[in-house]
Amino acid sequence: MSSNVLADQAPAFTERSVDLEDRDIRRARRQSQVIRLGSIAALIAVFAYFSAVAPGFANLGNIANVIEQSAVLALLAFGMSIVVLGGGGDVIRGGIDLSLGANLGLCVAVFAVASNAGFSDWLAVAITFGTGAAVGLLNAIAVVGLGVLPLLATLAVMNICAGAELVLTQNTVISTNSPLLGSIVGLSWLGLSVTDWVLVAATVVLIVLVQGTRWGLRLQAVGGQRQAARAAGLRVQAYLAGTYVAAGLLAALAAILQAARLSGSSPGSGDILLSVVLTSLMSTVFSRRLLPTIGGTLLSVLFIGSLINGFQLLNVSSYWVNGVQGVLILFVVAVRSLSTRRGGA
Amino acid sequence: MSFRKRLLAGLALTLGLGSLAVSAAQAQDAPSLKGKRIGITVAGTEHYWDLKAYQGQIDEVKRLGGIPIALDAGRNDSRQIAQIQTLIAQKPDAIVEQLGSAPVLQPWLKKIRAAGIPLFTVDTISPYSINDTTSDNYSIGEKLALQLASDIKGRGNILVFNGFYSVPVCAIRYDELKLVLRAFPDIHIIQPELRDVIPNTVQNAYSQVTDMLQKYPNKGDIAAIWSAWDVPQVGATQAVLAAHRTEVRTYGVDGSPDVVKMVADPASPASAVAAQQPYLIGKTAIDTVARYLAGDHDLPPYTFLPAILVNKQNAADAAKALGQS
Repeated sequence: MSSNVLADQAPAFTERSVDLEDRDIRRARRQSQVIRLGSIAALIAVFAYFSAVAPGFANLGNIANVIEQSAVLALLAFGMSIVVLGGGGDVIRGGIDLSLGANLGLCVAVFAVASNAGFSDWLAVAITFGTGAAVGLLNAIAVVGLGVLPLLATLAVMNICAGAELVLTQNTVISTNSPLLGSIVGLSWLGLSVTDWVLVAATVVLIVLVQGTRWGLRLQAVGGQRQAARAAGLRVQAYLAGTYVAAGLLAALAAILQAARLSGSSPGSGDILLSVVLTSLMSTVFSRRLLPTIGGTLLSVLFIGSLINGFQLLNVSSYWVNGVQGVLILFVVAVRSLSTRRGGA
Repeated sequence: MSFRKRLLAGLALTLGLGSLAVSAAQAQDAPSLKGKRIGITVAGTEHYWDLKAYQGQIDEVKRLGGIPIALDAGRNDSRQIAQIQTLIAQKPDAIVEQLGSAPVLQPWLKKIRAAGIPLFTVDTISPYSINDTTSDNYSIGEKLALQLASDIKGRGNILVFNGFYSVPVCAIRYDELKLVLRAFPDIHIIQPELRDVIPNTVQNAYSQVTDMLQKYPNKGDIAAIWSAWDVPQVGATQAVLAAHRTEVRTYGVDGSPDVVKMVADPASPASAVAAQQPYLIGKTAIDTVARYLAGDHDLPPYTFLPAILVNKQNAADAAKALGQS
């Protein structure tokens, strides 16, 4: 075969493959749009149903309650989404931070102990954020520095945090009271509590940071195409490490809200990991590219919060919520693996 | 009265099984709860006591024609607080709160009263509760401690599980133990005290006691193991059996059927358990609510239900009296 023939055939070949690729991309896009619109429709349907049937569901006070009850979970889920965004969506090898719940528990304990030791509120807050960031840094060292799988690295750090919490609290309730905690529980503005406003502010800041800044876009590149990002000269390791530290800081912020709600630290308060994983996974069905987003995460958290709230208002046993959460996980994971399989074929 | 005399008196009272049958709550039926919604919020239900008291409340609300809004927080304080918050928005006719950590709950119990909803409690001491239905935990703690002191002849080292001092009823039982031990200077609590945990209470108590039995390897090093409820007692008893150290006796509170059976077994190191009547406690709490909602606002702050100390001598009869056999 002469080189001439090859040269003649090449353009046709390329055109056909571009054509195929286009069709694949279009199909994938259509598919994800169906998933996204379907999920939003399901969300609206559930909200509409509860508003119509559950007494008091749509009251402003009740909605404020749901937001307040969701705040701690939402902040942790934001952390998880950022880690997944930077580390990639593969559940086994991608980014995941299993230490978030335990980090929350540890930070609540640290705040309570620091507060009771006579430190001022602001010093206690600083120590708490320091703790959260240190745990994030530990994750970063294990994942980025030592190259341990995030799933295993953060599992180990989860145990370290849980152990440290036990050492601090002796597994007992440590109650604390401070002006800061008092105002978090007591103050409100426009019908929303301080906790509500913290969540609103955190959401806005993170949406801008992740979806609107250079850091956020590069982070998405690191998570989506690590080789390409590295080739483009991005400091991939630094971005990855940053996600774990950011998640740690969010756990610390959540911890201060939690300490206000529980009037201190209570054993088992970090027992929230499954919901964090679920809501972060769920957030992907609200995005065009099936990636976790901050907005999607907030929607998922509010969705779960409304389900729990709506069930209680309808006097349906809270035991059903566990089952519903399980079904949701299965649904989301199924959608994701189906779309990846088709995309890969 | 000296503690020695109280010891004898306490042991004599122990066998008052007859008192179980009679209770003021059962003597007259409660008013109807027709059309009333009663919120029931409990810390958890994985323990026999919790579940029975919870069921006792739900059944009684239904029996009296009311609608129970029953909420089980699954031993998660944040969840219980969220449930209470939503419950306040639901404006039920009354709320009954059962167990949980007092310092965590108090601000939210205060909010219930601030919202104008009558609050009743089961086993939770709170200034915001109109009436607390509970066992007489002072007497439970004292009788159990006296039985322990008597069984080990007033001397020896004991292991104590004290993980839930934040739960008021556990604190009372522990304080009563310490009070009784003041009269027995030859009984020493091994320091540091052990911490019982939730969940995995049995496995955790088993491994802690196994470790302590290794640390104190000689017969007579440890005379007894005390816990404020009976789930750690199960783990402790199993650990003692597995280590062939059956001279170590175990003590606890609540009287779950499996523990009453252990006490009844002559070969088991489980020596005594103070058995409560959780189902009746739950039922009685609702009867009190019904009376309050029917206009009787002259209620005492506490309603005490009788408990019995089940020991090796009375276990078989006690199981029958408790309706467990």
